[in-house]
Amino acid sequence: MAVFDTPQAAFGALRPACVQLTRVQTVENVRQLQAHLAGVSGAALQELQEYVLFPLRFALRVPGPKQERLVQSLVQCISSVLAATCVKKQELLQELFSELCTCLAPPPSSGKAAPLSEELKLAVIQALHTLMHSAYGDVILSLYQPSTLPLLGFAVSLLLTLAEQEKAKQIKISALECLQVLVLQCDCQEHWHLDEDEAQQCGDLFASFLPGISITLSRVIAGDIKQGHKTTVSAIRLFYLIVGLVMSDKQLARIPKNKEKLPVEHSRISELMIHRGPDWTKSTAEKLSLLLHKVVESSSVHPHWKVRLELVELVHHLLSNCSQSLVDSFSHLLKALVGLVNDENSEVQSRCNKVLQGIAEQRIVAQNRALADVLSENLHSLATALPRLMNSQDDMGKVSTLSLLLGYLKLLGSKINIVLNSVSHLQRLSKALVQVLELDVTDVKIVEARRSGPPCPLQQGVQKGRYQKKYFRFFTEEKVFQLLQQVCRVLGYYGNLYLLVDHFMGLYNESGLYRKQAAMILNELVTGAAGVGVDFLQEREVPLNMNDLKGSITSILDEYMDQANWYLVTSIDTEESSPEQSVQQGLAVRAGGSSSSVLLLSPEPPATTRTMNSNIWQICIQLEGVGCFAAVLGKEFQLLLLSALYPVLEKAGDRTLLISETALGTLADICEACGYNSVQCLINENSDYLVNGISLNLRHLEYQPRASQVLDTMLRHSDASLLPLVEDVIQDVLSALDQSYNSQASTFLRVLHSVMTALVQWFGMSSTEEHRQRQADKGQSRPRSWGQQEVTITSQELERFFLDYVSQKQIAEGDLPDLEEEEADEVPLAKPEPNSDTEGEAPMPIHAQLAKDVMERCIHLLSDGSLRVRLKVLDVLELCVTVLHPHGNHLLPMAHRVWPALVTRLISDDPLAVLRAFKVLCTLAQTCGDFLRQRVSKDVLPKLTSSLLSQAPVSARAGPVYSHTLAFKLQLAVLQGLGSLCERLDMGESDLNKVADACLNYLSAKQPVKLQEAAQSVFLHLMHVDPDSTWLLLSEVCCPEGYEPPHASLHPVKLGGMGRPRNELTDNVLLLLQRLQQQEGTGPGTSTQEASPS
Amino acid sequence: MALPPPDPQFVLRGTGAAVHTLHFSCGGPEPDIPLLFSGSENGFIHVWNLKTHRVDSALDGHGRKSVYCVETMGGKDRLLSQGRDQRICLWDLAEGRTSVTDSVFTEHVGFCRCSLLEVAQGRWLMAMAARSLEEVQILELPSKTSVCTLKPEVGAKLGMPMCLKLWQLNCGSQPVLLAGYEDGSVVLWNVSMGKVLSKLVCHQEPVMSLDFDSEKAKGISGSSEKVLSIWSLNEQQNLQVYKTHELVNAGISDITIRPDKKILATAGWDHRIRIFGWKKLKPLAVLDYHTATVHCVSFSDHSKPRERLLAAGSRDQRISVWSIYAQT
Repeated sequence: MAVFDTPQAAFGALRPACVQLTRVQTVENVRQLQAHLAGVSGAALQELQEYVLFPLRFALRVPGPKQERLVQSLVQCISSVLAATCVKKQELLQELFSELCTCLAPPPSSGKAAPLSEELKLAVIQALHTLMHSAYGDVILSLYQPSTLPLLGFAVSLLLTLAEQEKAKQIKISALECLQVLVLQCDCQEHWHLDEDEAQQCGDLFASFLPGISITLSRVIAGDIKQGHKTTVSAIRLFYLIVGLVMSDKQLARIPKNKEKLPVEHSRISELMIHRGPDWTKSTAEKLSLLLHKVVESSSVHPHWKVRLELVELVHHLLSNCSQSLVDSFSHLLKALVGLVNDENSEVQSRCNKVLQGIAEQRIVAQNRALADVLSENLHSLATALPRLMNSQDDMGKVSTLSLLLGYLKLLGSKINIVLNSVSHLQRLSKALVQVLELDVTDVKIVEARRSGPPCPLQQGVQKGRYQKKYFRFFTEEKVFQLLQQVCRVLGYYGNLYLLVDHFMGLYNESGLYRKQAAMILNELVTGAAGVGVDFLQEREVPLNMNDLKGSITSILDEYMDQANWYLVTSIDTEESSPEQSVQQGLAVRAGGSSSSVLLLSPEPPATTRTMNSNIWQICIQLEGVGCFAAVLGKEFQLLLLSALYPVLEKAGDRTLLISETALGTLADICEACGYNSVQCLINENSDYLVNGISLNLRHLEYQPRASQVLDTMLRHSDASLLPLVEDVIQDVLSALDQSYNSQASTFLRVLHSVMTALVQWFGMSSTEEHRQRQADKGQSRPRSWGQQEVTITSQELERFFLDYVSQKQIAEGDLPDLEEEEADEVPLAKPEPNSDTEGEAPMPIHAQLAKDVMERCIHLLSDGSLRVRLKVLDVLELCVTVLHPHGNHLLPMAHRVWPALVTRLISDDPLAVLRAFKVLCTLAQTCGDFLRQRVSKDVLPKLTSSLLSQAPVSARAGPVYSHTLAFKLQLAVLQGLGSLCERLDMGESDLNKVADACLNYLSAKQPVKLQEAAQSVFLHLMHVDPDSTWLLLSEVCCPEGYEPPHASLHPVKLGGMGRPRNELTDNVLLLLQRLQQQEGTGPGTSTQEASPS
Repeated sequence: MALPPPDPQFVLRGTGAAVHTLHFSCGGPEPDIPLLFSGSENGFIHVWNLKTHRVDSALDGHGRKSVYCVETMGGKDRLLSQGRDQRICLWDLAEGRTSVTDSVFTEHVGFCRCSLLEVAQGRWLMAMAARSLEEVQILELPSKTSVCTLKPEVGAKLGMPMCLKLWQLNCGSQPVLLAGYEDGSVVLWNVSMGKVLSKLVCHQEPVMSLDFDSEKAKGISGSSEKVLSIWSLNEQQNLQVYKTHELVNAGISDITIRPDKKILATAGWDHRIRIFGWKKLKPLAVLDYHTATVHCVSFSDHSKPRERLLAAGSRDQRISVWSIYAQT
């Protein structure tokens, strides 16, 4: 189809169609014209605009009923013309506008909305839309004169009716969009920009429509969800645009006091005009507030996110344009906005955050006192309702309530202080927080969970900043806690720190009920004040004063670490919690290491699990606080270490798992804050502070357990460089022990134990390793030499063996004069280090001196009444011996002094003690074998063997209950210890025989299995010492196989055990013989050679 | 019943040897860190930071011979120390320096602490035991010019001077020296004339330490006996015994009257520090912490009374610091 560029050509083309249409108004003709229009260029059509429009308008104006289809096509044609051209004449615009509106108007007679088809309505709306877009800026303004007010009003009401009452979504949306264009708030950019006066004028005009528009729109917004989100979105947009325009603060500010008089001819119209004076503004704002409330309520929970997003826009628009005129509505609006911060849709969330950010940045709140008042009022009412809401709402509800609270606080920013300065506000808020944060302390496991055994090195357990998971009474959702945390931090960030700290310290001290929560809040406040982990919308006005922070922290720390708040009863069985108790209970309580099963009822009313739980949590929270403070102060915390490190370390040694773990976390925090690589580093560098604390606490009986605990922890995590300091304090411990042997022995023994463990670790290593090496050599040498011989046995070797054997035997019988030489050979093995002679003159190293001092105390305590103490003493004694090992000159006299008490432990004590005593004896044997051998064979062995012998028949006869008797345990202990003792001491043959004889009975199958096993172990040890005689002894009892002599000249082998019937001993003996063979690594052949001479 | 005696506020460890002398320097304005100087048997002077309770620096200027007197001259940047190497050293500690600027060779073999008196801005008089046994020499510092030598009359048989105290009634008046001697007598010397003003035999044993309150014109001295002797100075410049106080255990190594003249502290050979009211010598407290002879006691010069401290150094190598102002 040809395109007509020039007006002339276009005229030629369009003319017939126009004429035809003027003559006969049919749909066909209209279509014809439209078809021709398509071929005309825009420029050409502009020239012919009025000419082309004429027939169309004429057709519309023809009186009488018209076909709907015709009207529709006419309207469509008009709108296509308008789309391509501009309306340059005011009259044309106004006429077209009114003509189009009339199309929708009901016939004057009926008074009801015409039952027009939806297509027609849509066409008209679109035509109106197009018309508004095709008019030039100044032309379009002519429409917005007081004189056209009725016309505009007509159009507005028509469109509103359509938007509200139509069923079709398309029409509703188009009508709303058209209205938006009509109020000059179109989204597209092409429009004439109104200057201030013009805008003001329009505002005046639209004020008349405001009631109608706003009411209708609010109905649309709150309408059925089925109308689709787009309708709602458009309605909301239109709503805020029109309200924002009419109620704009800027415009209202320029309204003159009195209504202008319009020219007389407009008198009727002037009645319609509204004067936006203060009274009007006020009443309108009140009415709008209601509507807004309705709008906000319905749309903030609208299922479609775009609606909620639009609501955010609404708040944003109104807040930025009408923050003064609509101030009363803001409590709803901000509530909605703040509530949407945690919308499930991320887009809504981010937009919401941005808007909030914008509000904060523009300091809308900060500059607007009224708004701040609204916010603080909201805050107050929310705080009042908070406890109730927290009680009744589910976790989701709590999240939204709390995010609301958080939002208010964030919006208020530095204005928070206005709220905080009001006592009632602060009290409401703090009470609410305190109530919400109430912990659930019913969990029994917390009290039960004990650190088992000696704690592992700190480094392993340490994880930085890992706080204990808390359980709250009123919520379980983690998110709720995070929100509460943020609330506190934001408070700390903006608020007056002194005021807040003071207030919450007051709560902390007011009642035990609030203490934990107040501490938790204080921790977060300080964190927030330092600006750590705070989400804020605007920077605070006054930057943080580090000295203030330090001052606050120092005072909080003082309070936390006050005796009454730091030392709480956390369990019933530890005396560290209640010193008075421990004194009364005396020795009985201290359960060494893992044995916490000893429960003693305190004379006071027993603390319930609940209170103990609560106490544990309080300590944990306070510990976490210390960690927070360290993190906040960084290197500055170093100065506070003087007072803080000791208490924290004290808790690190606590036996309640939760507390010690938390304390470890705190230590890690401190390390990080003060720049220490590890906890060990921290302790090493600050050991002087710790020692000071320990030494001072040791002066008081009731603090001694705690002080020893710290020393314990300290020792475990430091190294030899500490020795001078440690030495100093150990002397304090020893003198404290000297003054209270009875009451505190168990406490101090623990310390002594850790001291000695540390000393062994620091100094004993070399010597024990050496020794072990030596032992290993000794152990290996024999089998190896045998093994070699086994490979190549020649007759010469065999001969030499016998010669050797004979001479050995003679020596053993005391025939040869060079007996001493032989002994001299043996001595160096058992002798202490060769340098010990010189050592005697030189002053002892500090650690050895310490070990000696400790050993001295052990002598006194060895015969203590309590088994626990005795056991502990034996452990300590063993360590002392290890440390003193290289200093034989000092060890031997000490050993001499220890001996009588030790013997008593060995031969007449509780089985447990017997066993430990055996261990000590073995350790002693490593160093002073000679010294001991005689004494053992004289003092110990006879009694032990005789008791074993006498008990053997008893146990063989006994029933299953026997294993619970003391006698059984004693037997077991002796049997378990005897073997290693013999081996370590390298006992002589006669002693070994004695032992073997005594133990043989226990190999009987009639004996309890445990005793059999223990007896086996004795023989296994004996095999190490003297495999040959053991073999012989066993074989005498039972010999499974016969041995052929390798040469006829030798006597046939005859052993006592050969050919014996199977008896009760057989099984165990066979087992042992088998082990012996394995150990010697040889076949029966070797055994034959060994055994044959006998 | 009185409260139990307090614990030390803290204990300083790490001198590595017996502590013989202590001197506070805490009077400075706020940013200044309060310091405590300690002189110990191994010849080191330790500068303790009383905020961190740690050694800031250790000064080594007496050839590892025992340091038994440390005094500041003016601020904390100038220090005087006396050691068994028979030298008195003047230190410059400003801006982190640790150098000996000057020294005086005393040739005295005893352990009599010197006594310092600021007579004018930047000008001090120092009394010290001199080479010959009974003499006391007065020097002017920093010029080191000898002012006079105080020699007892021939045949007085006072023995060596054991302790000295230079003082003047008020600024500009005649400086006077109180000296305690080996024979147990306390002698008042007129420094400018070099004459004995008065002599009082207070003790049977050597006078170990004395202190004097010029306001009340009363002094106190302690010796190796069980007795504290309080004497007064009348207007005719005569020393008179005012009172004696019997102790439980013998031996006082140091006596210091608190600057506010309300209480005094003694360092006892029985390991204890005793606090007395100065007015009536009422026993107030026995501070029991050390495990060996206490060698010296010193009161701090904090500007705020609440912060003031008492420190005691002992042969057990520890320095105990006590806060006893609140209690008294």
